[in-house]
Amino acid sequence: MSLSDLKHSLRKLEFPACSKEALIKIEQLLVGRAAPTSKQLDIAMEIISEFVFCDADRRGGRRGGGLNPLQELQLIDIICDYLSACSNETTKNTIFLSLFGGMENQRKLKILSILASMAVSASSTPVLLAVGVWLQQMGCSSPQSLQLVENIIRDHFYLNTTNLTALKSLASTAPQFVCNFITAVTELYMQETQKPIKLPPKNLLEVITFWVYSTPTLCMSAQLNAAALPSGAIPMAAVTPLAGLVRWCAFAPLYIDEDAEMLEIPPKKIKIEGERGALKTVKAQSESQLYIQLQLGLLQSLRAWRRRGPPAAVAAQRVTALLPAVREYAQRLLDRGCKINTDQKLQDCLDRIGQAVQVALANGCVYGNISSLLASLDTLPENRLLRIVIKTHQQAI
Amino acid sequence: MNPQTKSTSLSADLNNFIYGVSRRNFQNAPELTKIGISLLKNFPAARDAVLEYFAMVFHDAVNVSINQVDYETDSSVNGSLESVSMIGPELCNLGEAWAPFIAPWCINLIMNIATDKANIPNATLQSIDPVRVLLDITTQNLTLLNSEERAKCIDMMLGCRACSWAVGWVGRAEPALVAPRALALGPDAARAVLAHLANHPPALFHVRAALVELFQEAIKVDSQADKKREVIPYLLNLASKSDIVLKALTQDIENTLTDEVMERLCAICAAHRHSGAWEGVGPASLVTLLLRSDIHCLFLLLKHAQKNLFCRQLLEYLLQKLEYECLFPDRNVPLLTSAAEEIEIVREKLLTGNQLEQYSVARILILVCYNLPSEFVSTISYLLQHSRNDTTLALLVRIISGTITMHTPNDSTEISTDTERYQNFIKTGVEYALRESMMSDTQIKRCFIEGSVPEDEKTYLHYFCLNIITLLRWESSNRVSHLRTRPIGRAVESNLQRFGAALYEYASLLRIRTPYTMASLPEMPTCHALAEVLDRIDMSGTKAPPPSVEAIIKVVQATVRYFFRCLHIQDILEKMRGVQSACRVLRKLCVHSKLARGAALRELLEAATLREQRALGSRAHAHPRHADPLLLHLNLKHGPITQLTQSHTSVFHAGIIGKGVRKASSQDDGNAIPPILTTNNELLMGALMSCMDGNSGIVEGATSISLLLVELVSPDVMYNGLPWPDEDFTKVSIERELYMRGALERSAECRAALRRAARARPALCLASALLRAAAATLLHRLRAHLDRHTQSAEIAREMAALSELLTTMTLGQLLPHPLSHMLELAPELTASELVQVLRDCLWNYTRDHVPSPALFTCDSTGLHWRDPSTCKPPATYTDTLRLIIQKRISKLGHLYPIMFLNLEKEN
Repeated sequence: MSLSDLKHSLRKLEFPACSKEALIKIEQLLVGRAAPTSKQLDIAMEIISEFVFCDADRRGGRRGGGLNPLQELQLIDIICDYLSACSNETTKNTIFLSLFGGMENQRKLKILSILASMAVSASSTPVLLAVGVWLQQMGCSSPQSLQLVENIIRDHFYLNTTNLTALKSLASTAPQFVCNFITAVTELYMQETQKPIKLPPKNLLEVITFWVYSTPTLCMSAQLNAAALPSGAIPMAAVTPLAGLVRWCAFAPLYIDEDAEMLEIPPKKIKIEGERGALKTVKAQSESQLYIQLQLGLLQSLRAWRRRGPPAAVAAQRVTALLPAVREYAQRLLDRGCKINTDQKLQDCLDRIGQAVQVALANGCVYGNISSLLASLDTLPENRLLRIVIKTHQQAI
Repeated sequence: MNPQTKSTSLSADLNNFIYGVSRRNFQNAPELTKIGISLLKNFPAARDAVLEYFAMVFHDAVNVSINQVDYETDSSVNGSLESVSMIGPELCNLGEAWAPFIAPWCINLIMNIATDKANIPNATLQSIDPVRVLLDITTQNLTLLNSEERAKCIDMMLGCRACSWAVGWVGRAEPALVAPRALALGPDAARAVLAHLANHPPALFHVRAALVELFQEAIKVDSQADKKREVIPYLLNLASKSDIVLKALTQDIENTLTDEVMERLCAICAAHRHSGAWEGVGPASLVTLLLRSDIHCLFLLLKHAQKNLFCRQLLEYLLQKLEYECLFPDRNVPLLTSAAEEIEIVREKLLTGNQLEQYSVARILILVCYNLPSEFVSTISYLLQHSRNDTTLALLVRIISGTITMHTPNDSTEISTDTERYQNFIKTGVEYALRESMMSDTQIKRCFIEGSVPEDEKTYLHYFCLNIITLLRWESSNRVSHLRTRPIGRAVESNLQRFGAALYEYASLLRIRTPYTMASLPEMPTCHALAEVLDRIDMSGTKAPPPSVEAIIKVVQATVRYFFRCLHIQDILEKMRGVQSACRVLRKLCVHSKLARGAALRELLEAATLREQRALGSRAHAHPRHADPLLLHLNLKHGPITQLTQSHTSVFHAGIIGKGVRKASSQDDGNAIPPILTTNNELLMGALMSCMDGNSGIVEGATSISLLLVELVSPDVMYNGLPWPDEDFTKVSIERELYMRGALERSAECRAALRRAARARPALCLASALLRAAAATLLHRLRAHLDRHTQSAEIAREMAALSELLTTMTLGQLLPHPLSHMLELAPELTASELVQVLRDCLWNYTRDHVPSPALFTCDSTGLHWRDPSTCKPPATYTDTLRLIIQKRISKLGHLYPIMFLNLEKEN
């Protein structure tokens, strides 16, 4: 079928129908035994732009309005249906990446965000997996990924706070997505470039802790399960969330104000919900406790790393990058005339770095320049555990 | 919930929703709304779509509501309306995290609706349900936003011209944000927003703050010059369009426009006056603004008019404009209303201000008084009380005349009724002032408590009287054209009774003198002032209606009281002046009114005999001496006690009943007859005489004095007739005669009055009872003393009394020619001779010639008298005298020719 015929047949249809039809046509164009030609790719892109997202008119120029929110919703419904119905993982990923691959378009990103959020709401595994692949291909710390992740967080951790159970089950149904999601999330919070430092909301922290703690292999799932990509595509290296989690756990004692946390337990809730509420508050953990649990989960995840090929779990320079902030903190303590040895927060922080480094090194999952990592660890303030760790591994090298 | 079922229910919801919405039909709106709400909760990413649908629902609901505004319908009938009522609470309660999405949506929706329905009146639009719900949602969510987002939202709304009402409404939650932003708009748009905003009282504060902020910014030294140029005309322009802005700007204007600010403002004005933006704010528009402002602005203008020429011109312009505006009775000028509301400070300004202020404020007050008669009254009252110099009094005159003559064309026929009306107001003003100043005198004053009373502190009433006196003096000078109709004089005359009552109260000795008040000051100066006021007004009834009976009586009582207070004054000059003015008042009153005369004489005599005897030199009635045992009591001890011989209990003590045991010495000075000729007595007589001015006044007055004396002295109403009975008959009435004589003897003023009456013949006849009493007692006393105490004090008193009686009767022509010489004869006669003479010549003659006015004939000049030639007493009455003289011719011979020779000759 020629290009013009294709378009002509599609133009006969009204909006929702034409999108549905277009998806099928794209599948026909792109999925085959061999990689599609560049012409086919161009045609597919034109169809996507004209009939799926309705961005372009028939001459390829930009159309003003695009879709209104209701139409967007219809489109998302169609895409969702299509993806859920798609049996072949590769086909699904191919179509998904070609729909949302070129990320210069903010409108597409918005639709993708809604799609992803809806997939989370509806626990739609196929879509989530596709989103996971997308995250990996775009790079978890790319601006588009961060934007997508931010949208999901806003939708599910700020606006709708009632679906924690559904979220918790995601770790088992769509581990690749969750893994990449956590990696991106760790980029969003506790970055020392942020002023003021943003801390993850408590329910997000709770869910992530649950995920990591309950499924030690989760962090490696993106690496373990290679994405089914279209032929000819270049797979991007999966980045584990471990480094980011190390940063969270290490910095948590420094940034969390425990006094403020005490106030956080809302007394109103206890009154209204009566006994059940009281039970819940017993169960509810404070943030610092959550971080402790997360640290434990993290260590378990590091230990769960199975040596298969070169170490790829934690990059040495990412751990090194944490250290200036710790030193700065110590310096501030000194300026205020406090003693480093007795400062509980700093010691906790150093302990956690020491534990993580020790487990990671012992398990052989650190890659990169380990000796420079050890050298820079040596410049940290005095800590007994750290001292032992450094000594042990310097000897080993 | 099982994820699987949940996801299916979600997709089912989603499908239903998408399908339902795409049909674009609002019949099933409630169901779809329900789905939408659940989607919103479970599937937040779909919010854009859901909200869009909701917006459609709102649009539809607004359309429906507008079309059925006229009649009531159940909201459940229409799907959209029902949906709206469901959506409202949901969106309000979504919480903080949602607010950043909901608020802009709401605002966009409002803007769209407002733009759509721009042809529908705001009030209608605001009152329909869906809009109300929407505004509620907006307000609710705006409060949940942080300030930055909030500001953004409000800016969004302000950008839309059609929905200023919505801004005003929503802005009530955040006036501090809205007000300054609204001011950044053009005058018309800003006016609309602020008008809506100001319906909410707490927002006013923020509006004002924003305006002041803008103004301060504009006059800052370092702000950009071109910005400055625009702001002030803008503010003025805005104020000219919006009452709220004007009110906000002028509230506490003294704090806003301090002196430094003014200086700065002048500099700016000078710099920019000729630029384009200032074109619209010339003096004319400023005056229009000022007309709508309040009185504080005017004061500020007055303050600056002292130095600033432009302000002075503006002031003059404003005043002229005000006067012009007042020509239209239905015009309501806010400046004048404000002046009326704060009339207290305005009046105070009139008293304390400088010349320019005083004159300007007076003009304002004229306008206020013209519009509000009650303020006219209170202004008069205030100034009469508080004016302390001639300038302010002159202003009062100006206000009075200005108010009366304002806009009255010279040929108007209403003049008389109008002036009558205003005269009534003035009268009421004087009345209020009098009452209030008396009340002020009873209020506790700080200066008394602090002990810092000024040297010449006067009571309020005193000041008030001084003011009235000044005004009356101006009136009588006839040089002030405004006072030619005697408005003040007439007002005081109408209030005569109140002035009388005031004098009566202040002259009272029993007045309550509360400490620490003006009432504790000496009252006599105030009384003098009051008396002078009374002295200066006209009570004749020729220029004004005659005073009422009540007023006359009150004034008479007050004046008499004042007169007696004056008698007690030490300083002779002050005393004389007071007495004189009291006499003048009495004269004025009595000359036109017999009633006044009667009342005055009675008051004077009663007061003199019953209360003020001591001042006039008389003795009070005999006081029981409690130190001595009463004879009555001593005698009562007689019975039950064991009787011992020679003990004083067994002895009956002789003495005068009621006076105890007779004293060894009865020559104490207390018993002497008090003299008639004392200063006070003469003054009293003067006062009595001043009541008898005019035609036949003296005779009538003296007659009533006689009658009054009888009434006052005689113990009962019987036996006070003119005829004298047989001498023997006096034996039964001797007690009464004794009492009457004693009473008369003790009081010098009665005797003096009797003498006055004797001079005004035939008035003495009416006091015949008094003369008879004296004669009867003399007859009996002399007989009793015949032999015993020839030279005692008692006989001396008897002689004095005799000569007094003879003098009076001779003066009253009751004893004709030969008998009148008994006076000269009496000292030489012995007691028995005297008894004889008294009985034969005095008693018998008078008994046979009843002393009645009929004896006195009225001659051509109106004078009553007895012609001596026609009333020669027959020989029976003179023979005793003749015989006695003949018997003692050696001693009394010189009288014989005087008494009898002419008589013989004529015979």
